[in-house]
Amino acid sequence: MKALKLKKEDLYAYLESLKSYGELWGPVKRGERYAYARLVNVREVALQALRTILPPKKFFVPPRFNMFRYSEDRYTEAFEDVKPRVLFGLHPCDIHGLMILDELFLERFPDPYYKKRREATAIIGLSCIPDDKCMARSTNTHAVEGGFDLAFNELGEEYLVWVGSSLGDDLVRLNLDLFNEEIDAQDLQKYLEWRRKRDSRYKLNFDLTGMPDIMELSWDSDLWQELADKCLACGACSMVCPTCNCYNIRDVSDLSLESGVRERHWDSCMNKEYALVAGGHNFREARAERLKLYYTHKLKAFITEYGKPSCVGCGRCIDTCPVNINVAEVIRALKGQEVKV
Amino acid sequence: MAEIPKPKVGFYGFTGCGGDLLTILHCEDELLDIFNAVDIRSFLMASSDVHDDEELDIAFVEGSITTDHQLESLKGIRKRSKVLVAIGSCACFGGPQAARLGYGDWEERFKKVYGEVKHTVARPRESYPLDEYVKVDCCIPGCPIDKHQFFFALTRLAKGMPVELTTFPVCAECKWNENECLLLKGELCLGPVTAGGCNSRCPNHGLPCIGCWGPTKEANVASEISLLKERNFSSEEIINKLRLFGGAAMVRRFADLLGIKTEEPAGKPRQKKARKPVAAGKAKKKTASKSPKAKSGRKR
Repeated sequence: MKALKLKKEDLYAYLESLKSYGELWGPVKRGERYAYARLVNVREVALQALRTILPPKKFFVPPRFNMFRYSEDRYTEAFEDVKPRVLFGLHPCDIHGLMILDELFLERFPDPYYKKRREATAIIGLSCIPDDKCMARSTNTHAVEGGFDLAFNELGEEYLVWVGSSLGDDLVRLNLDLFNEEIDAQDLQKYLEWRRKRDSRYKLNFDLTGMPDIMELSWDSDLWQELADKCLACGACSMVCPTCNCYNIRDVSDLSLESGVRERHWDSCMNKEYALVAGGHNFREARAERLKLYYTHKLKAFITEYGKPSCVGCGRCIDTCPVNINVAEVIRALKGQEVKV
Repeated sequence: MAEIPKPKVGFYGFTGCGGDLLTILHCEDELLDIFNAVDIRSFLMASSDVHDDEELDIAFVEGSITTDHQLESLKGIRKRSKVLVAIGSCACFGGPQAARLGYGDWEERFKKVYGEVKHTVARPRESYPLDEYVKVDCCIPGCPIDKHQFFFALTRLAKGMPVELTTFPVCAECKWNENECLLLKGELCLGPVTAGGCNSRCPNHGLPCIGCWGPTKEANVASEISLLKERNFSSEEIINKLRLFGGAAMVRRFADLLGIKTEEPAGKPRQKKARKPVAAGKAKKKTASKSPKAKSGRKR
C-alpha cells in the first residue's frame, strides 16, 4: 500500500478530476444531517460529515430496484442505473460495513445485482474524529487496512493518501501533479499523533469479548420484552444499518397481466411478516422475538460465523431510533449496566 | 395467453370525498390498459352506463357507510361480488367522519351540529367502515389511495392471487427516501404507527405524517403516545391526531389507550358480528393485538 500526500487546498481540484472516471458522489448536508449525493459542484461536499442518514449500501443494493422485466417467454435484466461511480468520503466504519456486504454478496453465492454495482464503483475513504455516538473502536472498525481504492487521512494542512488498489493508482494518475510522493519521518510522527487523538475521542467503549456467550445466557432475559414494549417495529434500525442486508422480492405485473417487473426492496427482521411462512406460521410473531433476532445476529451469530460482530460501530442506530433502542444500549443492558431505554 | 374472460369489475362510492375513485380516473396513461385488463360494469363517476344488477368478480368500494340507504346498497354489492375491496381510508377505517367514534351518543352529536332535522332522502347513521357490516376481502388504504398500489392490487386480484400490500409503517419508506426524521426534530409525526405504501409522501416534503393511511397491523400506539408525550405534546393533541384518520381501527384496537370505554354508544343500531380474517392475502394468520380490550385486528 503506497502513501502519497495531497495539499488540502488541492482537494477540490482533485475531486473535479475524479469526474473523468465516473459520477462523483459524496456526503452533502441534508437539513441538520448528511446524505450521500451526487457532487455536481465539488464544493458541496461536506467534509465534516460524520455519518450520513443511509450508509453507502444504498449504492450497491438500492432501497428498491427492478431486478428484471419479465414477459411470458423471456426476461431482461435491468442494470440501467449501473455506471462508473466514485464514492468519496467513506469513513472506516462504512468501509468495514461494505467489506461485510462483500463477504455476503460476493463470496459463496455472488449476487449479480450487488456485484455489477460494486465493480463499477471506486471507493475513496476519508478519516474522521469520532463523536459521542461512534463506537467503531469497540468493534475494531475504526481504521482500515483494505477495502478501499484510495483513503484520505487528514493530517494538518495535508491529506495522507493511501493507495489501496490498482484502480486507486489509476485514480491518482488522473491528476498526478497534485500529489507529493515524498513522505518523511515527520509525517509518520504526525500520523501517529493523529491516531492517538482519534482513539482518545471515543466516548463509547465496550469490551465485546465473549459477546456470543453473554447473548446465549440472555436468551430468556426479560430485557427483550422490556425493549419490545418500547419498540415501534418501524424497521428504521435495519434501513440505516450498514450491514443489514435482508430484502424482499415481489413481482409487479403490468396491467396487461402478461409482463411485469421483479422488484427487490430492503426488508427488516423487525417487520412482522419477515418470518411468516406458507401456511400462516410465523416464527417470530412477537416483537420481543424479533428484537432478539436482530441483536443476536449483530452480536452473536455473525461473530460465531465470521469471527467479528456485524456491527461496525457507525452509530446510525443510536442516531435514528426514536425510542432509543440501539446497539450501545443493548450491549449495556446485556452487561447489566443502567440503560436509557 | 389463453383467452381468459376479463374479470367483471364495479367501482362504487359512499361517504367520502371521491378522491379514491378520482385517483383511478386520473390515471390517464394507464386507463386504456385498465379497460383492457378488466370489464368495467359500473363506474358512475366515469360513465352513466352502469349495470348494477350483475354479478361481479371484484367490487371496489370507496367511502364509509353513513346512511341506511348506503348500508342496503353495500349489502347488495356484497351479495353480487366475489371479492369486495375497500379502497381509501374512509372505506377501510371510517374516515375523518369516524374520528369521534365511541365518544358518547352519536345522535346527540348529530343534533348538536345539524339541529332538529327531518330526514327526507336517507336516514343518517354514525360513520363506520365497510367491514363493520360486510365481509371485506381486501383493504387498500390511503387518502387518497396510491395508484401504483391500486394497480398492484388490481393485477393480483385479476389473476386470482393474494394481494400482499406493504406491511411496513411509513418510517421504512421514509428512510429509503433518506429524509431527516421529523420525530427526532420534535414534530408530531405518526410515521411509526401508520401504514406505509405512500412513499412517505408528506415527510418527503418536510411535513409530519398525519396517519392518513390508518394504523399498521403492528402499530405500537402505546409507545408512540408515550414518545410524543415526552416531546411535550398533550394527550388531547396526540389522541386527536391518532383518531383523525384512525377511525374504527383505532377504536377497535386501542380503545383503552384513547380513553374510550368499549361499551357500545347508546342509541346506535350496530350489527354485532365476529370479524374474521379475510381471504385476500390469505396466507397470513391473524392474532389478537396485545391490548386486552382490543378486538381481533382486521386484515389490511
